[in-house]
Amino acid sequence: MNTIPDTAAEGGGFDPRQAADLLERTRRRAMREFEPAQPWLLVIRAVLVLGTLGTVWLTVRRQDPYTGPKASVLLVVAAFVVVNFCATVAIRRRATVGVSGRSRFTPVEIGLLAASWIAPYAVMAGVGVTGDSRSGTLLTVPLIVVGLVFAGVMAVRADWRACGTGLAVAVTGAVGASVGQAGAWAVTAVGLCVTLLGSAAAITLRLHHG
Amino acid sequence: MADEELDPLIHVPTRLKIVATLAALPEGDTLSFTRLQDMIRLTPGNLIIHLRKLEDAAYIASTKVSSGNVSITTVALTEGGRTALAAYTKALRNLLGDL
Repeated sequence: MNTIPDTAAEGGGFDPRQAADLLERTRRRAMREFEPAQPWLLVIRAVLVLGTLGTVWLTVRRQDPYTGPKASVLLVVAAFVVVNFCATVAIRRRATVGVSGRSRFTPVEIGLLAASWIAPYAVMAGVGVTGDSRSGTLLTVPLIVVGLVFAGVMAVRADWRACGTGLAVAVTGAVGASVGQAGAWAVTAVGLCVTLLGSAAAITLRLHHG
Repeated sequence: MADEELDPLIHVPTRLKIVATLAALPEGDTLSFTRLQDMIRLTPGNLIIHLRKLEDAAYIASTKVSSGNVSITTVALTEGGRTALAAYTKALRNLLGDL
């Protein structure tokens, strides 16, 4: 709360120490309010992704041959993805209310990001990569594509932190794809959790020292 | 270092808050009048007075955009405004370092 009376009107009686304190508090508060990726949300997402995908891995790790998670488990994963997506969009919208310019994604960028989610599934369905026995591939390939496209979009914006996040997601997908169907769930759970926690730490540092 | 070296246009609590808030946006981004008012917690009349002073000094630029029946005013810190805030911050640091 600002305890400095507005009657410090034209600077008279406005102590430099108070000014420095007000400047720092206002700067931090504004940066926090404008930040579209809130660290607390990223930490919650990290815990949830580790719990959700980790649980799937526990149910499939001893399968031989691999048949994939049960439909009910996949439903929980799908619900998690939807809730996660909605929460992210809602928080981003709240942060960018009234803001115009580079902070907002352009229609082209939104189109690219949406296509990066849809295209891998369309292509995989086209070449016959479907079914529970390929669920690890269905999880990891989109991560590679989405991660690379996101990293590209952020590189164009010169947002190197977000670009790093995209690359980390792509690497997680690539490593997950190389360890087999069951292992993909464990790698993705740990990889995404670490990426989200790293991102939360980077944003927190920027907000405090930025 | 003397107190008067602090830019008198910025060295006012409300205007310092306005400038610091706008500086938190990436360069080139604008903020709507209503969001700024919400963040600074000022009456529209008060905010307009302070914005006008900053605009007269070319520290901020405001634009009115019509969207249907509604007109939206947006404000942004100019390059000159960013430079002035940086100079003000430096002067504050020097001053506090001397105290």
